[in-house]
Amino acid sequence: MFKKYRKKSPWILHYNAGSCNGCDIEILASLAPKYDLERFGVINTGNPKQSDILLITGPITKRSRERVVEIYSQMPEPKVVIATGSCACTGGVFRNMYNVEDGVDRYIPVDVYVTGCATTPEMIIDGVVEGLKILEKKDKTIEKPLQLFKNLLTKEKETNRRDMAGTINEQK
Amino acid sequence: MSLLLTLLAPIFATLLYGFERVLKAKMQRRVGPPMLQPFYDMFKLADKRVFIVHSFHAWLGVLHFLLLWLSIGAIMYGVHLLFVIFMHLFALITLVIAGFSVRSVFSHVGANRELIALVVYEPILILIAVSFFLSLGSFEISQILSSDPLIYSMPLGFLALLMIIPIKLKKSPFDSVEAHQEIVGGVEIEYSGLFYEFIYGAKVLEYVFIYAFVFLFGGNNYLLGAILVALSFLVINLVDNSTARVKYQDMSRIVLIGATLLATLNILGVLYV
Repeated sequence: MFKKYRKKSPWILHYNAGSCNGCDIEILASLAPKYDLERFGVINTGNPKQSDILLITGPITKRSRERVVEIYSQMPEPKVVIATGSCACTGGVFRNMYNVEDGVDRYIPVDVYVTGCATTPEMIIDGVVEGLKILEKKDKTIEKPLQLFKNLLTKEKETNRRDMAGTINEQK
Repeated sequence: MSLLLTLLAPIFATLLYGFERVLKAKMQRRVGPPMLQPFYDMFKLADKRVFIVHSFHAWLGVLHFLLLWLSIGAIMYGVHLLFVIFMHLFALITLVIAGFSVRSVFSHVGANRELIALVVYEPILILIAVSFFLSLGSFEISQILSSDPLIYSMPLGFLALLMIIPIKLKKSPFDSVEAHQEIVGGVEIEYSGLFYEFIYGAKVLEYVFIYAFVFLFGGNNYLLGAILVALSFLVINLVDNSTARVKYQDMSRIVLIGATLLATLNILGVLYV
């Protein structure tokens, strides 16, 4: 019944997983008066429990991967992940470096890839609009991170989200 | 009529909030969201999955909304002004308890901030209510609304009220840059989905509460009351757009010294002038 209102008020959570801040500045620029993403009802919430879209920038460093999975698992469904910038898509110039995992999609399912180093506000807006189409089609089944979560506790009709992230750095 | 106004208060409040967001966008030379945006937000939040930390915490959010609605209903029915103020205080205390009842650090910080703000602006509301009593001999809202306009006899009280509105509506102040979400929005950080909708609704209902308070200064001249509300609405939005870096120490200093002084002078003025 309320499904069509999903695309009218997408709230964004922005997470920097080790980016050089180039893409982050572009994200903030697209929220600022010139590009004004708020005209689509977008708010930068800063709180995973109230947001619909995860805008994630930067290559996943080994320090930040645990947080990425944790933030992802704290977002209530329906949700959409947008990898913003070349680093978040593939690892970019940091690909195959010793402290970097290549791209967000090693850990969490990504719905939209926005490329560019740094990406531009126009492309971010296009990516968000594309993500809204996906958001509208999604149902509310629980989405899990792709890998590295320690045996997820599931009782009847109950999934423990706290263990979704697990302790990644302990695993070899 | 009173029942109708009470029932329509959340819808009217949501419209007012939508209008405010458009106005704020226009002040910043943006396009801004559509006027019905808060309704879209609410419909979307009803569709989301719900995370509950513990049921007491979640129901305190609902209770916060209901008590706030009750205090607005009390204004609309024209009952005792002190009852309205303390019912509103009770509503805010439930939110503070909810903030302290979870483990999140940000929730505790937000609840602390809520308490500080409460300490700062609650005396002003009571002092204004006292000055209403001293000039009319009654705390009844129906009596205030049938007397002559009070703005002429107590302009200082109106100024004091104007000073606390930005705090009441959670506009200013916030600690540091980009901390608005964590600090001011701290108490609501563990709410999600349907239960966050109640908090959102309560945040919007505060608009009706405080502007109804402004409206009381118009007395029996309802047009004057409406003009006062419109003017204060504009002024508050201007202040919100121009003071982004006020710290809470500044807030408590400015309000505890400035507004309390104004409200006290107001009482002296009512008594002796």
